[in-house]
Amino acid sequence: MKIAVSSDSANLEAKVAHKFGNSKYLVIVDLESGDSEAVPNPGASAQRGAGMQAVVLAVSKDVEAVLTGYCSPAARSHLTVNGIEVISDLSGTIGEVVGRYKKGDFRKYKGVELEHRPRWSKIDKAILSYAIRSSAKQFANLLPILVGVVLLMGLFNAFVPRHILVSIFSGNPALDILWGACSGSIIAGNPINSYVIGRELLTSGVSLFAVTAFMVAWVTVGLVQLPAEIAALGKRFALVRNAVSFVLSLGVATLTVLVFNFFMG
Amino acid sequence: MSLLRKNNPQTLTWQRRAMRVLTFPISVLAIYGILYVIKPDKVSIALKGAGNIFITIMVPLSLVFVLMLALNLFLKPAQIVKFLGRGAGIKGVILSATAGIISSGPIYAWYPLLKDLREKGAGVSFMAIFLGNRAIKPPLLPIMISYFGWVYVLILTIFTILASIFAGYAVGALAKESNSGDGYKVQQKDI
Repeated sequence: MKIAVSSDSANLEAKVAHKFGNSKYLVIVDLESGDSEAVPNPGASAQRGAGMQAVVLAVSKDVEAVLTGYCSPAARSHLTVNGIEVISDLSGTIGEVVGRYKKGDFRKYKGVELEHRPRWSKIDKAILSYAIRSSAKQFANLLPILVGVVLLMGLFNAFVPRHILVSIFSGNPALDILWGACSGSIIAGNPINSYVIGRELLTSGVSLFAVTAFMVAWVTVGLVQLPAEIAALGKRFALVRNAVSFVLSLGVATLTVLVFNFFMG
Repeated sequence: MSLLRKNNPQTLTWQRRAMRVLTFPISVLAIYGILYVIKPDKVSIALKGAGNIFITIMVPLSLVFVLMLALNLFLKPAQIVKFLGRGAGIKGVILSATAGIISSGPIYAWYPLLKDLREKGAGVSFMAIFLGNRAIKPPLLPIMISYFGWVYVLILTIFTILASIFAGYAVGALAKESNSGDGYKVQQKDI
């Protein structure tokens, strides 16, 4: 059985870190063999989602319990739903708390919060309220931009004369696809916005080839996010992936519209 | 009290986020205001057009919320990432593609988790397949279907999945051995 202890230093004499999400290390201790390793917590320096990254680390290490000073309700809910016992409000050195855990002290000690739920337990109130809050937050982030895009589309339809669009999108499928993919690669954001813009372009007379390439490139190619992707996954990976995705967006648009036209006559 | 609130970093972050999200719609409204002075009749047409788009989008948009809620309720990022790094061959491809399709939230939130997985040895192809399949957004399908019809959406979805798998293998072949310079090392210390 393996357990994880949050710590700011990589040795057994170090103190238990106060916060699970922001601790520098998770010290993984195998209780049977006595082996231990300190794994750097990817969430230690993160400004957002630190707790979740520590949760992912704990889950990936197959630990059965987390010992820490403080664990946020969201991280606690994710850990317990993955079958990991959370014991918080602890202080002392790693060696001490591991020893006390082995002896079963925490099951008697009043000050320690102990929570354990089996894997895939039924949905409880805490998880439901967390899901509602997450969805509301996602929706609240999506809505203002969507409102802006819809208003912009209203202006676009009223003010941009049709002949200007026709002069850009000539009706030549190859050129239209290229233009569509280029504009989709530059602009980024929630895909819902690309659907609204795509639909309006379509009703303005722009071909389905161009609109499809625009929507596919919007979600698969990200020039705006390229620096973040390079930083996380490496320069070569990010550049090759975006270049391949750009070329494939041309192919996907061509095939989709050809097959669609074949079925719809 | 007000001073405390002013200096609270959480309040500042919340305000910054709200500003970032609201800047765009407020700017568009400002453009409306300016244009109304010059061409009031055309701005009325623009507002009416925007209103019509909102009406079309309303029902599918409420369905989007329900689907988002269902995904948040039953899927946990920790589980998605856990099975993304597993398996090889066809199993790995299917798991990575599925993880990409069901993953939600902005892409930058996923980069640290993907970085962590790469450090643990997950394949480059699976990363690319995962990122490619993020193009398919199940919660947003109601809007897409209401706009373009289910036949078009079905064909586009099938080709997008096939293309993302192809992209995964292409990226794997082109970018595989060349990441040593990017500085990914497993930083584990035995104690």
